[in-house]
Amino acid sequence: MASLALKTVPSTFARGIAARSFASSAARFQAVPTQKPVLAKEFKIYRWNPDEPAKKPTLQTYKIDLNQCGPMILDALIKIKNEVDPTLTFRRSCREGICGSCAMNINGQNTLACLCRIDRDASKDTKIYPLPHMYIVKDLVPDLTLFYKQYKSIEPYLKNDNPPEGREYYQSIEDRKKLDGMYECILCACCSTSCPSYWWNQDEYLGPATLMAAYRWMADSRDSYTSQRKEKLQNEMSLYRCHTIFNCSRTCPKGLNPAQAIAKIKLELAAE
Amino acid sequence: MASAVVVRSLVNRNIASALAQRTVRPFAVQARRAHSDTAYVPGGPIYKGTVNDPTTFPPPSRAHGSHHWAFERLLSAALVPMTAAAFVTSGSAFPVLDGLLGISLVVHSHIGFDALLVDYIHKRKFPVLGPLLSWTLRATTVGVLVGVYQFNTNDIGLTELISKVWAA
Repeated sequence: MASLALKTVPSTFARGIAARSFASSAARFQAVPTQKPVLAKEFKIYRWNPDEPAKKPTLQTYKIDLNQCGPMILDALIKIKNEVDPTLTFRRSCREGICGSCAMNINGQNTLACLCRIDRDASKDTKIYPLPHMYIVKDLVPDLTLFYKQYKSIEPYLKNDNPPEGREYYQSIEDRKKLDGMYECILCACCSTSCPSYWWNQDEYLGPATLMAAYRWMADSRDSYTSQRKEKLQNEMSLYRCHTIFNCSRTCPKGLNPAQAIAKIKLELAAE
Repeated sequence: MASAVVVRSLVNRNIASALAQRTVRPFAVQARRAHSDTAYVPGGPIYKGTVNDPTTFPPPSRAHGSHHWAFERLLSAALVPMTAAAFVTSGSAFPVLDGLLGISLVVHSHIGFDALLVDYIHKRKFPVLGPLLSWTLRATTVGVLVGVYQFNTNDIGLTELISKVWAA
């Protein structure tokens, strides 16, 4: 129907309007959009397909017109997946930096694709890799199973044998303040996978994300298992593989400071 | 590269009995096999238990945990005034200070090298090379300590040596 009616319209319109057939009113025809120039930028994206395990991972190049794309890296990825290559695989959900799904290595920095602006300089390409030193499920999807198992190991929930009777837990404003900067962690794994110690020893070392979560529960005034939580970390590997490299704090897309939390754990363990 | 080959042959010998029924596999696989009690999945990680089981912790030990860390940090901090003191005084006038500096320096570097071994050549990944290097380091440290003691008691001592070399 729509395509019949559009036969007389210049072909440049036709393409735009065919996509939304409702916009065929007279007023819409008159509103000629200003045509932005094409700003083609290259995206080089890590590709690996588990169906062809013998084939080595490669960087595949995609050219995207930035003037026809949203401002963030995630917009470019979605555009590529929608319009260029539907086999490109990545995780994404909230597109606003609160779910942590789209954590990946963009131009050498672990960050969330949805919070990372595309560099408008079209002369430089943008390289996108999955989180470093993780097992890859496909393309930009890393296997985070161990990361979640480690998070589970620190028992990330309130433990208190004597809950107050008939009322909720009370907490002073000062005590609540201690949790600021830690409870905001979305477990995107950007910090842990940027940590060289975690690269070499991730089977034993917990990594900054899990350690900050551990300290979040140690610092909670409502939790009565602080000493047990501390006792667990009293070994060579779980905590003390942290060598204060600070990659974690530098890379955190939420602007948190896992290195500070780890330093506080070390201090509290030493002061015991 | 050469070291990797050496490691491979050593590991082969060490866990040969455990892997007797298996054909030759890349080194990384064997090292992981030696540590894990779950089957190796090609191309994938090895998890202990199911994906829903949390990871486990090593048995708690303050000597390896907070005491080790606190000692290391205090020693590092103490080295600053000790070095300064050795700089302004003379080693032959204060032999105790000289000896203390010698011991501290050696222990400090021992801890540093040990951290290196734990990070990169841990025995869970290198069942032969790891312990071998750990004991080499321990033997070296003891040897150097004896040497420093001999040098400080029978010769001019550490501080004097450094000042002489500095002036030379």
